[in-house]
Amino acid sequence: MIQLFHVTKRWSDDPPVLDDVTLRVEKGEFVWLTGPSGAGKTTLLRLLFCADEPTSGQVIVGGRNVNRLSAGGVPFLRRNIGVVFQDFKLLPNRTALENVGFALEVMGASDAKIRERAHKRLAQVGLADKVGSLPLRMSGGEQQRVAIARALVNEPAILLADEPTGNLDASLTDSILQLLFDANARGATVVVATHDRALLGRYQRRTIQLHHGKVTSDA
Amino acid sequence: MTHVAWRLVRRALLNLWRAPVPSLLAVVTITLALFLGGALAFTVLGARALLVSWGAQPAVTAYLDRALSEEQARGVADRVRSAEPGAEVVFVSPAQALDRLRVQLGDLGGTLDGLSRNPLPATVEVSPRGAGDLRALAARVSQVAGVADVDYGREWVDRLEALGNALRGFGTGSLALVGLAALLVVANTIRLAVYARRDEIEIMKLVGATDRYVRAPFLLEGALQGLCGAALAAAGLLAVQRLLLPRAAAAFAFASGAQAPHLSAQHCALLAAAGALVGLCGSYLAVARFLRT
Ligand SMILES: Nc1ncnc2c1ncn2[C@@H]1O[C@H](COP(=O)(O)OP(=O)(O)OP(=O)(O)O)[C@@H](O)[C@H]1O
Ligand SMILES: [Mg+2]
Repeated sequence: MIQLFHVTKRWSDDPPVLDDVTLRVEKGEFVWLTGPSGAGKTTLLRLLFCADEPTSGQVIVGGRNVNRLSAGGVPFLRRNIGVVFQDFKLLPNRTALENVGFALEVMGASDAKIRERAHKRLAQVGLADKVGSLPLRMSGGEQQRVAIARALVNEPAILLADEPTGNLDASLTDSILQLLFDANARGATVVVATHDRALLGRYQRRTIQLHHGKVTSDA
Repeated sequence: MTHVAWRLVRRALLNLWRAPVPSLLAVVTITLALFLGGALAFTVLGARALLVSWGAQPAVTAYLDRALSEEQARGVADRVRSAEPGAEVVFVSPAQALDRLRVQLGDLGGTLDGLSRNPLPATVEVSPRGAGDLRALAARVSQVAGVADVDYGREWVDRLEALGNALRGFGTGSLALVGLAALLVVANTIRLAVYARRDEIEIMKLVGATDRYVRAPFLLEGALQGLCGAALAAAGLLAVQRLLLPRAAAAFAFASGAQAPHLSAQHCALLAAAGALVGLCGSYLAVARFLRT
């Protein structure tokens, strides 16, 4: 489902943020992507949904070489990828419901369908009573859950989550991770970036370790 | 697909409603640009209308000796007519000339009633049917007995016409410049509004919106702002016309057949189209920058 061949990413003349990374994630896999802060986790994820281009190497997502994707093809790739951003990327002047519905809106779904599915997802992340709230009036953990609901709302084939539990307490962390496992059980390929070692111990899955932009272990 | 169109319209209206200040700024900019452009166009049109009406006057005017009786004067006209078969020759008696002047003066015509004696001479108007050498024609006509003086206005009419053409060139050029400047200013004003919403654009793109989808509400907003600007500019031009036209009319009265330019329905439609176009292009330019990333 996801393949990287000798991918290098560098900004200007700094040492590369990703250094000759080659890896492969099968369809339906659940993978932890871990490593210290600055290791290149976010950078790697951004390459997968075409937010950045690799300096060299090939990135293949869902069987398509994303470097060769035309500008018009990018939106359609992204509709198959749900992303939970490390900084949430919620629209401050839209309610939680509108933020979640946004992902369906751009695909041209009907208003009724948007409403129903967004409601359902918000209820799943425990925010049924916050659908009308604006992000700025919500706690960090609540905003994070809105971001997760948005990533899940159109049942994407690929789910990329960047520190999805960074702002959550232990019990919420478990319930949110359960949502990601559920999506995985329904067939989604899931990659979760985290530097929370406790999580990796608690939920033993394939773990790709990055360090200074290199894959140091993959098991 | 109609629900998507309707959603985009709703989104555009909502955006205008939520951030009225930047859109008002854009409307004001468009209004000013269209108003200036319109005023310029009308000035040029008016000036040209005046010049053209002067250009329509007969080519050579022969003023006849005042000592001649009307009978004799008509005889002079006949002699000119037979001497110049290639020209249209019209006899204008002093009474006819006075009537003409009265019409041209319009409201001021009444002042002529105070004259005890008609001061105007009889004239013969000679206009060549094709292109002819006016100077030579005038010279020949002046040799005819009974002709006191000739005036071949075409010489300076030609100069006026050249001036008119220059004026048109100047008008077109400066309109194009004003248009371009307006477009840039409008695009920059709209860019301010778009800048405030760059996060929204980024997020829309990240969740899979096409460029067209992102752009559509902005284009709609731009077109709406343009139409509002056009309406305000038309109102402004109409007001100025109300104020100035009565005064300008006096000047136009001297030019036979010329009409001071009025703001017609077509002009309003043109303004609206120009406004919408400027708004659309401005928005397109403004958004393009933020779509690239
Ligand atoms: N746009 C950019 N321009 C220059 N350098 C960048 C840019 N984006 C990221 N970097 C650099 O790339 C490196 C890796 O960043 P990245 O965000 O991928 O790390 P990370 O593993 O996600 O860290 P964290 O766990 O703190 O989120 C950092 O050193 C950062 O300074
Ligand atoms: Mg990161």
